[in-house]
Amino acid sequence: MCLALGVFLVTGLGAQVQADEIKLEAQLIWGTNDEKSPDPKHKPVDPKVAKKLKKLPFKWQYYFEVNRQQFSVPQGETKKIVLSKDCEIKVRNAGNHSVELNIFGKGECIGKISQALPKDELLVTGGNAANFTSWFVVLHQPD
Amino acid sequence: MNAEFQYTLQAYLDGELSVSEAREVETTLAADAEASALLAELRHTGDLLAGYEAEIKLPEAREFYWSKIQREIQRQEAAGQADSVPRTWWSRLWLPSGVIAAVVAAGLLGAIEMGWLARGGRSPQIETFLADSGAMTYRDEIERTTVVWLSYPGENQFADTSAVDTIE
Repeated sequence: MCLALGVFLVTGLGAQVQADEIKLEAQLIWGTNDEKSPDPKHKPVDPKVAKKLKKLPFKWQYYFEVNRQQFSVPQGETKKIVLSKDCEIKVRNAGNHSVELNIFGKGECIGKISQALPKDELLVTGGNAANFTSWFVVLHQPD
Repeated sequence: MNAEFQYTLQAYLDGELSVSEAREVETTLAADAEASALLAELRHTGDLLAGYEAEIKLPEAREFYWSKIQREIQRQEAAGQADSVPRTWWSRLWLPSGVIAAVVAAGLLGAIEMGWLARGGRSPQIETFLADSGAMTYRDEIERTTVVWLSYPGENQFADTSAVDTIE
């Protein structure tokens, strides 16, 4: 029983330090089949994320980064991130490497997603956009 | 014409008979008008079914659809094997051990706290606030990626919300 308590205390205390705050990166991405974006401010998505997106069963070949922000959220707290004039997110650190993501379009909450998000894990939310293109909000822990 | 010959006729139509059996059937067909009429009807019905078979569109990629079925079969087979494994003497000895159970429980709690166990069971909980709540999820275990597809158009007034060809 002492051994059990010891294991629990060691792992529990170690985890407490790590679990207090989660560092995240949110990206607003535009998916298209056009090789070049009409918006010169757009830049190609970083290769690691692009590789993952291209392996998903979507029809788009090119992904452009509209905005990218890194932020930290203490455990139990919520942070609001504005990704564009129409798109913002609220991320709550639910502890145990889990997040609650609220997505807002034109000020209206359109979806709430709860998901475990350890390192190397990608949470992709998306929908259709004009002219057979798409929008994506990608959330993950940066390297 | 008995029922047995009717089955033989269907087998002949499907090319399942040996050469000698097929010759025998052809001899009967030459002499039996009723059998010839049945063969023509069977052939006609087969053509109709082949020509009008409904095409089924899957709501997800074909590979993903079949991989789900494969995973479910493997899961059920594994569950069946686990049920059929008899208890050995050592499992009877170890299982009631309170100390071992406590150690395992403590280890699991620690692992959960560390986020190690969060790597499994990645079904997201989704709540949508849209009139059309046709949200879809897709999980790629190899890429460790979860996709939640919402029916919300990127730009309300321009987006083609009726597009059905979003996913390959």
